[in-house]
Amino acid sequence: MNAAASNNQMQAIKVKHKGFLRTLCSQWQMALMSVPVLLYVLLFNYFPLRGWIAAFEDYNPKLGFYGSNFVGLKNFKDLFGLGELPPEEFLLSIRNTLAMSVINLVFGTVSSILLAVLLNEVRKTLFKRTVQTVTYLPHFLSMVIVVGMAQNIFASGGPINDLLAQLGLIKEPVFWLGEGRYFWWLVGVINVWKEVGWNTIIYVSAMTSIDPCLYEAAAIDGAGRFGKIMHVTLPGIKSTFIILLIMNIGHLLEAGFEIQYLLGNVKVMDYSRTIDIYVLDYGISAQKYGLAIAAGMFKSVVAIFLLLSANFVARRLDENTLI
Amino acid sequence: MRKLLCLLLALTMLLAVAPAFGEELEPVTLTVFRGDPGDQPTDDNKIYKLIEEKFGVTFKFEYLAGDLDEKLGLMIAGEDYPDLFDGGNSADLIITAGALINLMDYINPEDTPRLWAHIEPQKARLIEKNAAGEDVLYIIPNYGLTYGDQIVNAVNGPAFFIQKQVLAWAGYPEIHTLNEYFDVIEAFLAENPENADGNPYTGFAILCEDWRHFCLINPVQHLMGRPNDGEVLIDVSTDEFHTETFIDKPYAKAYYEKLNDEYHKGLINQDTFVMNYDQYIAALSSGTVLGMFDQTWDFNTATYALQDAGMYENTYVALGLVYDPEYVDGREIEEHYVNGSLPNVRRGFGISTKCECPERIIAMWEEMLSDEWQIIFNWGIEDEDYYVENGRLLMTDQQYANLNDANWKLANKAEGFFQSSPKKQGWILDGEFAGNCWEPVNQPEIVLGLMNDYDKEFLGAYGYSKFADFVNPPIELAPYGEAWQIDYTPVEVAHTKFLQLQDSFLPQLITCDPAEFDALWDKFVSEITPYADEFGAYMQEAVLAEAAKVLGN
Repeated sequence: MNAAASNNQMQAIKVKHKGFLRTLCSQWQMALMSVPVLLYVLLFNYFPLRGWIAAFEDYNPKLGFYGSNFVGLKNFKDLFGLGELPPEEFLLSIRNTLAMSVINLVFGTVSSILLAVLLNEVRKTLFKRTVQTVTYLPHFLSMVIVVGMAQNIFASGGPINDLLAQLGLIKEPVFWLGEGRYFWWLVGVINVWKEVGWNTIIYVSAMTSIDPCLYEAAAIDGAGRFGKIMHVTLPGIKSTFIILLIMNIGHLLEAGFEIQYLLGNVKVMDYSRTIDIYVLDYGISAQKYGLAIAAGMFKSVVAIFLLLSANFVARRLDENTLI
Repeated sequence: MRKLLCLLLALTMLLAVAPAFGEELEPVTLTVFRGDPGDQPTDDNKIYKLIEEKFGVTFKFEYLAGDLDEKLGLMIAGEDYPDLFDGGNSADLIITAGALINLMDYINPEDTPRLWAHIEPQKARLIEKNAAGEDVLYIIPNYGLTYGDQIVNAVNGPAFFIQKQVLAWAGYPEIHTLNEYFDVIEAFLAENPENADGNPYTGFAILCEDWRHFCLINPVQHLMGRPNDGEVLIDVSTDEFHTETFIDKPYAKAYYEKLNDEYHKGLINQDTFVMNYDQYIAALSSGTVLGMFDQTWDFNTATYALQDAGMYENTYVALGLVYDPEYVDGREIEEHYVNGSLPNVRRGFGISTKCECPERIIAMWEEMLSDEWQIIFNWGIEDEDYYVENGRLLMTDQQYANLNDANWKLANKAEGFFQSSPKKQGWILDGEFAGNCWEPVNQPEIVLGLMNDYDKEFLGAYGYSKFADFVNPPIELAPYGEAWQIDYTPVEVAHTKFLQLQDSFLPQLITCDPAEFDALWDKFVSEITPYADEFGAYMQEAVLAEAAKVLGN
């Protein structure tokens, strides 16, 4: 490499550097606007990370983050049943969390896309709007109320059992709330009922941005209603779908907490306890804060891993990606 | 007109200036946390107004919503403490976390004679030594520091409950054992499957929700003839106080096998295991639940609802059941559900380290232990809430009914503060009202006058004068107190798992196929044993240590 070339390179770097500053200066209004968000993220997302130190400590609030005793990986060992805590319980809660997440993800996505497609086919605006409003209203209900309603609806003497009995499908009432094997599906159904309208909004808006010419072209090519859905509508929302999927996969370890906590009972404990409830029991109630933080850390690391792998797969499939 | 205005103005000014002549006390607002659910008092509550006038103190209440341990855990994690801190049944957590100040720094015979006299008789149980050998007291008990003879009009704690109509229907039998209890319910249910409105009766309900699962896991110790020691059975016949967890023992198996039997006979409904507390209270209030194991205070709301509706035959009697000899190798067990009175150790208000005026709270409590204030808190304002006749404190029916009216109390009683504060209970021993009871609910005239005709007739049929006659009189309190009060935070993890396994297995045991019962029981015992052993061993040590404090060795 000769001197001139190296000089050239230096110059290039300098110019590039200057370029960044210049761009920043020329867009100072935007930069200024992003400052609050940046501060928000720093303050609420990065600053609390210092608490992760407690995952390696026998954390005692009296002594604080920097005064508590270090215990190495003990909390993580406890978490996976290698230490003093009962084995298998954390693994059981991971199983429940994943099962309910996957059910929620599949049910949630399929139901909201289905509803969006149906709404998209409706020509009467008033009807469409009414349906949309009615379906998304439950989103604003508190989970406490939703679970209370579900408990009545699925009770042994509740309407679901009455209906099934009158249809002659069952002889004895089904114990929906007290059988572990129904629990995950019950959570799935309740979540769909609560969130389907809300999740539909984004798909409906994605559909409105599809170029009408595509529908016309499809019609000319002889596509019927169903053909248009298959070849125009669904491909049209594919990128939205992929991005939402990536985001949701990142949240796989968050199956929610409220619904399991409220709907759970002594009969279904083995199916209702999620990671969050485990953390609550051993971390907060039993005062093992270090353990709770270790569990949180574990969740974050897994979430990052899941997010990146979903992103990677999507990129390999040459689709839109999040990152 | 002008004259009137002038007069008014003068009066207003006078009123405005008047307090300045009194003792100058800077107004202060104390934040208060209560470890149990409750409602906010009204803004014009007359007792709080009185406190504000006299002490310059106002309160800002926060009541528990949700799980206590979680709430305390979060408060500790954030060091977010109120001034007056009632940690409920988990106060050990906040004491361990260093959230409370040592009251002994403020309480002594000279400065606070009333507070000192109040705790002195029980100081062996109340005052502990810290690592440095100093006397420490974090919480003055909210209940149980009683004066005079123990008053037992009714069973206030744990018992097997049964609807009065079941006993009346069966011709007022004496029920003392587990079998007799379920036999009478079975017989009643066979003949009366539904109430007058056509709603089916439930034979026996078991509340399993959250911390109220004591209805599921506690009965065995009582069937074995002991009052409430929480989750352990203690042999008080020797000074060794042999302590063991009972749930994993063969004598516990008999109870759950009996419940399994009753489940398959249809006395127990599977819905009972998925009920939350509100649903449980609703079921009891509807009058369709014939029996349950519980503690009286836990279902007061239902009792009041039934009384309000005039459904006296659906209210409950507390029975002290023991095992039939067949369950315990032919032994006759003596029944003891009611214990000698004991201070509610480490329960009530502590003053948190964040409080800026602890000496002021202490001074206020000191003043409030005067007869005058105790009567204001317990009885109310004279001639408004009670009246005096020949030295007796009395209430009209309406005045007493008010005490059961939740809305009235929010405006006229200071329960949010007083329930967790130091208070006198039992008999008034001296002064102008000597011979009366501190609490209206115990005053003999009121107890008698309150009873409705149904209850009078019901008791008459048994030849009893009070509902406590259904159980044996209180036994002497064991030196260690009651073991459920013992702090088990050092074995919190084992204890959590210990309870969790019971929550998970016991309902299964009750509902499983009788042929599989033995196998499932063995599985339960083998899984719970390690945690039961750890918890039991800890409790044995703790019981001995607790007893040593009182026995003094």
